[in-house]
Amino acid sequence: MRLPALARTSHKWLGLLLAIQAVFWTAGGLYMTAVHIDIIHGDRLVRPIPATPLNLASLVEPSALAAGAETVRLETQLGRPVYIIGGSGGSRLVDAQTGAQLSPLGEAAVRARADAHFAEQGEIVDAELLSEAPGELRGRPAPLWRVQYEGAWKPTLYISPQTGELMAKRHDLWRTFDFVWMLHIMDYETRDNVNNILLRITTWMAFITSLTGAWLLFYSFRRRRRARPAKA
Amino acid sequence: MFLIRTLHKWVGLILGLQFILWSFSGAMMALLDTDKVSGATSVREPAAVVIPAAVLPLGQVAERIGQPITSLRLKPLGSAYVYQAATPTGVRLIDAVTGAPLAIDAGRASALATADFSGAQAIASVRRITEGDVETRKLPLPLWRVEFADPEKTTLLLSEATGEVLERRTETWRLWDVFWMIHIMDYTKRESFNHPLIITVATGILWLAISGLILLFRAFRPSDFSYVTEPVARTRAAIASRRR
Repeated sequence: MRLPALARTSHKWLGLLLAIQAVFWTAGGLYMTAVHIDIIHGDRLVRPIPATPLNLASLVEPSALAAGAETVRLETQLGRPVYIIGGSGGSRLVDAQTGAQLSPLGEAAVRARADAHFAEQGEIVDAELLSEAPGELRGRPAPLWRVQYEGAWKPTLYISPQTGELMAKRHDLWRTFDFVWMLHIMDYETRDNVNNILLRITTWMAFITSLTGAWLLFYSFRRRRRARPAKA
Repeated sequence: MFLIRTLHKWVGLILGLQFILWSFSGAMMALLDTDKVSGATSVREPAAVVIPAAVLPLGQVAERIGQPITSLRLKPLGSAYVYQAATPTGVRLIDAVTGAPLAIDAGRASALATADFSGAQAIASVRRITEGDVETRKLPLPLWRVEFADPEKTTLLLSEATGEVLERRTETWRLWDVFWMIHIMDYTKRESFNHPLIITVATGILWLAISGLILLFRAFRPSDFSYVTEPVARTRAAIASRRR
């Protein structure tokens, strides 16, 4: 086979194998670059909660509550001081003024915490306690409260019943990014393994395809330059 | 079809190099083991610890800190326990039992880094970082940079304010980061993939991919697939032509 024919044949057969994935890569890449990552992360869905000074004198001593625990955090939730006590058996939430245990939080307490974070207009559509982390929250400890808001992008906040903290924020732009990312790294199950064998093979094939394209380019443009002096 | 072919050729000529770079850097990032890139392979699991019985009462904590406290942590740090207080002027650390103020100096940073590193190698260098670079990215400064003498040159970046290990860098990461830079086309800070250059080039390359897909319909003739559609006849013809 002559070299130009070999370049053309290899480019066209590799192209046949890879064209759809190449469209996924570039269209998805365009989405990921064009929509700013801060918007994807949903930074505008929540407002910062101002830090207020604590009156330590009025609180129950942590040593009285946290026997056998590993860490204690004193924070403010809904304007009241709380302890988040962490240990080998997980975390729990305690009212720092009374010493009463608050966790696991019920629906009303979770809705109130979600509303304190949520920065946009719109009411809660649904609040549900999930015993397993959903796909869009892979790897996070369960159980979790999912609080869905009304709104075009279906904003959703996840609150931990054990600590009362905001665990994650999701909306449709994030979900689209995640789908596009799945196509980009070709891990259709967990969407987080960038070392998978399919991606490794396909990316090297794409590299070869692009090289054969460059090779073919060489013949495509040279042929024309030759043609011109012949006419003159 | 002629127009699509011409545009495929010209976009390929102008932007094709970036497609080569994207596929190559993508292939390399897929090849480099993410655990080595993140340094997860050298993390030492912390031993289980329990808050000591005789921690300082809150009244004394407030006194020792001497400033309004917006949040407070009682946490293990190295071999001791500390109170870590967030104040309007920054984070303060005191020993949770004695109440003595605690600063993360070079010695303490080295000890904390060693406790978090599973390798047997010694520390190669300890530096205080006050100006950010590609390695520290957007981490809050100042930082302690503790590098170990292992083949990966594992480097732990610790917060001077809290003593926490904020990030770890390895030789694999440093190599990965070059491919990342090429991939996101941010050649100075290697941070942002949301800039006009990459959006423009991605639009052009998207056209390259779509036009390539369209051209496929023209590029193949039924005879190209004869091995699949008429395997016996095609194989016979091939053998016959070889005999000749």
